[in-house]
Amino acid sequence: MMQAYLEGKREASTIGSLVTILAFLFGILGIAIAFGTAFGWIPLGERAQILRSDINTVERIVTAISLVYAACCLRTAYGLYIREQASLRWSQWMMFTSVMIGGGILLSVAIPVGLKFSLLLGQVVDLRTLISQDAGGLAALSLSVGEGLISICLFIIALLALLALLVFLIPPLEPLRDRPGTRWIVAPPRKFVQAILSVLGVGVICFLVAGAAVVPDYPGQTTIRDAENHRLIAGLLFFLPGFFAYRVVRQVEEQSDELRRALALTPGKFIRAELAKSPSAGAIIGFVAIFMGFTMATDLFLEPSSVASFLSNVATKGVIAIGVTYLMISGEFDLSVGSILGVTALSFMNFMTHGAPVFGVVGPIPAALLAIFIAFILGAINGVLLISTRIPSFIVTLGTMLAFRAITLVAIAGGRILRYSDHHEALPVIGISNIVFIVLGVFGLAVVAFTAYRVVPVLYRGAMHAWSIRTDNGDFGTSGAIVRGFILVVIVLLLLAIVVWLAAVLSYHGSASGGQIVEVGYFDLFNGRVLAIGEESDFFHMQIPRNANVRLAIVWWFIFVVIFHIVLTSTSFGNSIFATGGNEGAARAQGVNVDRVKLQNFVIVALLTGIAAIYETARNPGVDPLKGTGWELEVIAMTVIGGALLTGGYGSVVGSLLGALIFGMLQTGLVLVGIESRLFSGTIGVIIIAAVVLNTLVRGARQN
Amino acid sequence: MEYKQKNDNALVDMIDIHKYFGSVQVLRGIDFHVDRQEIVGLLGDNGAGKSTLIKVLTGYHSLTRGQIYFDDEAVNIHSPHDARELGIETVHQDLALVPLMSIARNFWLGQEPTYEVGPFRFLDKKKMAVESIRALADVGIHIRDSEETVGNMSGGERQSVAIGRAVYFGKKLLILDEPTSALSVGETQKVLDYTIAAKEKGMSVIFITHNIRHVYEVADRFTIIERGHKLGDFYKSEVTENEVADMIVTGQIPERLRLYHEENGDVA
Repeated sequence: MMQAYLEGKREASTIGSLVTILAFLFGILGIAIAFGTAFGWIPLGERAQILRSDINTVERIVTAISLVYAACCLRTAYGLYIREQASLRWSQWMMFTSVMIGGGILLSVAIPVGLKFSLLLGQVVDLRTLISQDAGGLAALSLSVGEGLISICLFIIALLALLALLVFLIPPLEPLRDRPGTRWIVAPPRKFVQAILSVLGVGVICFLVAGAAVVPDYPGQTTIRDAENHRLIAGLLFFLPGFFAYRVVRQVEEQSDELRRALALTPGKFIRAELAKSPSAGAIIGFVAIFMGFTMATDLFLEPSSVASFLSNVATKGVIAIGVTYLMISGEFDLSVGSILGVTALSFMNFMTHGAPVFGVVGPIPAALLAIFIAFILGAINGVLLISTRIPSFIVTLGTMLAFRAITLVAIAGGRILRYSDHHEALPVIGISNIVFIVLGVFGLAVVAFTAYRVVPVLYRGAMHAWSIRTDNGDFGTSGAIVRGFILVVIVLLLLAIVVWLAAVLSYHGSASGGQIVEVGYFDLFNGRVLAIGEESDFFHMQIPRNANVRLAIVWWFIFVVIFHIVLTSTSFGNSIFATGGNEGAARAQGVNVDRVKLQNFVIVALLTGIAAIYETARNPGVDPLKGTGWELEVIAMTVIGGALLTGGYGSVVGSLLGALIFGMLQTGLVLVGIESRLFSGTIGVIIIAAVVLNTLVRGARQN
Repeated sequence: MEYKQKNDNALVDMIDIHKYFGSVQVLRGIDFHVDRQEIVGLLGDNGAGKSTLIKVLTGYHSLTRGQIYFDDEAVNIHSPHDARELGIETVHQDLALVPLMSIARNFWLGQEPTYEVGPFRFLDKKKMAVESIRALADVGIHIRDSEETVGNMSGGERQSVAIGRAVYFGKKLLILDEPTSALSVGETQKVLDYTIAAKEKGMSVIFITHNIRHVYEVADRFTIIERGHKLGDFYKSEVTENEVADMIVTGQIPERLRLYHEENGDVA
């Protein structure tokens, strides 16, 4: 239809004009939002909470994005108006973006309202609350006339939306010739299902808003702000017309000729195809959804202190998850990581308090090295047992999990806790010369230079290539080159920022005034608060809020993720890991030493677990015999959420990072939105299954 | 038992090969040889010991008794890696490719090209992509995208990639273990073309199958194995397709051929 419109066919002109007008209206709406945000009529971020006049970062970003959006919409409208070929693809994308924006806004209402509603239900059902608050709780349920009107209006909107969707999207009724009516029973058309689902979604949101509005001041948490009601309207404005228009534009593309189909993948399919290239598609979707959800549900979530706390909580488990991902990709399994962690933490502490077998009482760094060596031995035991007996690794590590646990239980009799402070008066301290900082700074600069050398030319060539092959006509055809150029600029700026920071650090430590010995606790070096290291003067020139609990293990974790990601994807060792898990026989036939790969992976897991144990002990210098119990399954959960297949041959380190982040966000976020932490494991369970289903779906999409 | 004198012309000469799995005698004194630039059809019914003989040659199984000569030298092949070092490439029936990995990664598996940055060695992904596409095109396999996963390909395409890889890396001997068993007629024809391409490249080929129709067209010689024994070697000029098919099924050498071979002293 849209194609016909572009070709000037009369019968298609109505819908084409409508889409043009819609794009124009969206453009105006975008400008309105940009102005509203810039001048404080639409308070966002902090300003939504506190009445302050200055514009904040969130608002600046929203203003910028909505201006860009408006510009694109207006350009699309103009392109459609003068019937430019490329505007077809752009109108698809703009409608898609509108649907996404509208959906996002709707979700930003739906998630907090849903939470509040469930909390409300929970309170009503909870008899103890009712009794303790005697009549007060029930009295609050009486509703005022104004609130009642709002809820009735919302219900009417929901009903209208339902009718509109049904009228618009109802499929042509063409029953099969021989058996009329069967088509509906056998396979209800996808369009119909989608229509019903979207109507249900909108209806549920309206219902929740209405429901929460009925009980405005229920003791505790349930209030619905005016801002949320207004947002609901904005969301509907974007979502419903955008959705209809997207359906119209899409259909045309599917009916058009071969060449155009090849050129114009619909936005939905394009994004799905892009996602399918990554093993961690489910984790990416889950991460974005959960991140957005918590950001919208509570203003506390994006505070630096919350982010730092959830990162710190999962950093150690995240380090282990890297190793478990390796092992899982090579088709094996390790249940003993929790016990290995316990043993390593215990030996680390024991070497510093009671002494190591040969060396006597040692300092933290030798103790750490010895402890990690013990972890190495335990990992090697796992690996050797596996390849010599050929028992499934599930059984082998189930056995060693119990056996290794006995080491800590025997060594610390009676369930006491081994504390560093019981044996030493002060925590160990190391003096770091400014030379070390300078060397590190220079090394950092070298890494940045190398990255730039490798990455920037590739990106530049990509942008130039996109520029040279623009096949569409007009200004639209250059969009690919513009996007690539934009990415290039962002990366260059990022690298420059790092260079400037490193230069500042270098000049501080190189100068006479700054060049001095810095006293740092050993434990802080392993896993201290970043501020504890850089507190006294401006060693690192970092702007970290004082209340943020940023642990050094986070930094180590990210470094490990980068290193192990590169090893997995860009070395022949990584290749043989994938092959070992994917088809052991084929790997062996191609000359891969499968047994060695597996042994190496068991050792890698154990070493990373050992390092994690040092972090854990350094954070809180005390070890109890049950340390690490239950960690194995949590770590496996992170890995599975991250897209690794239990059967082996598939997965990614970045996926394990995302899995760990999802884990951490849930742990912190659920508390912040006021849900009982007892629900945490239940939520994680649902998330695991959802993530795996998503991963499977996306992989299915890849196969088609 | 005394070892037979080794064959001077042969690329591979396996003499008096025995292989027992516990008390099960799978190979009971087989002599087998492949001449240079020759396509040998290794035939036999299911369970005759064809695959075991090949797995002994490629180091997958160690042999119980016997001697292998490769390129006129006595060799001990203990692992697939050893066999590869000698210049033997094998396309196994079931162990060809890793379905979840891309074509390029499968193609280079076990011998990835790398470049060095200081002490580290990284995969040369560009070479992997470009070379794999080029090398496969050389033997007549055209793929669109070397990053496509093998799991998305049809059985014939997979077999093609596996064979293309073996032809590319193979230096002296190419072994195809039942390469056509799951293929359509057209795909089978393609595999036969690759076989001839390998021969023209100067390689010898062992083509294992239980279906004579798949190999009669290209093979120079047939070796028929029956329950761990060798029935005999037959050049294509000596036998008809039907005679070979009968021998595989019945395990009996026809009267005409028996006389012919006794004259040449060539019956096991």
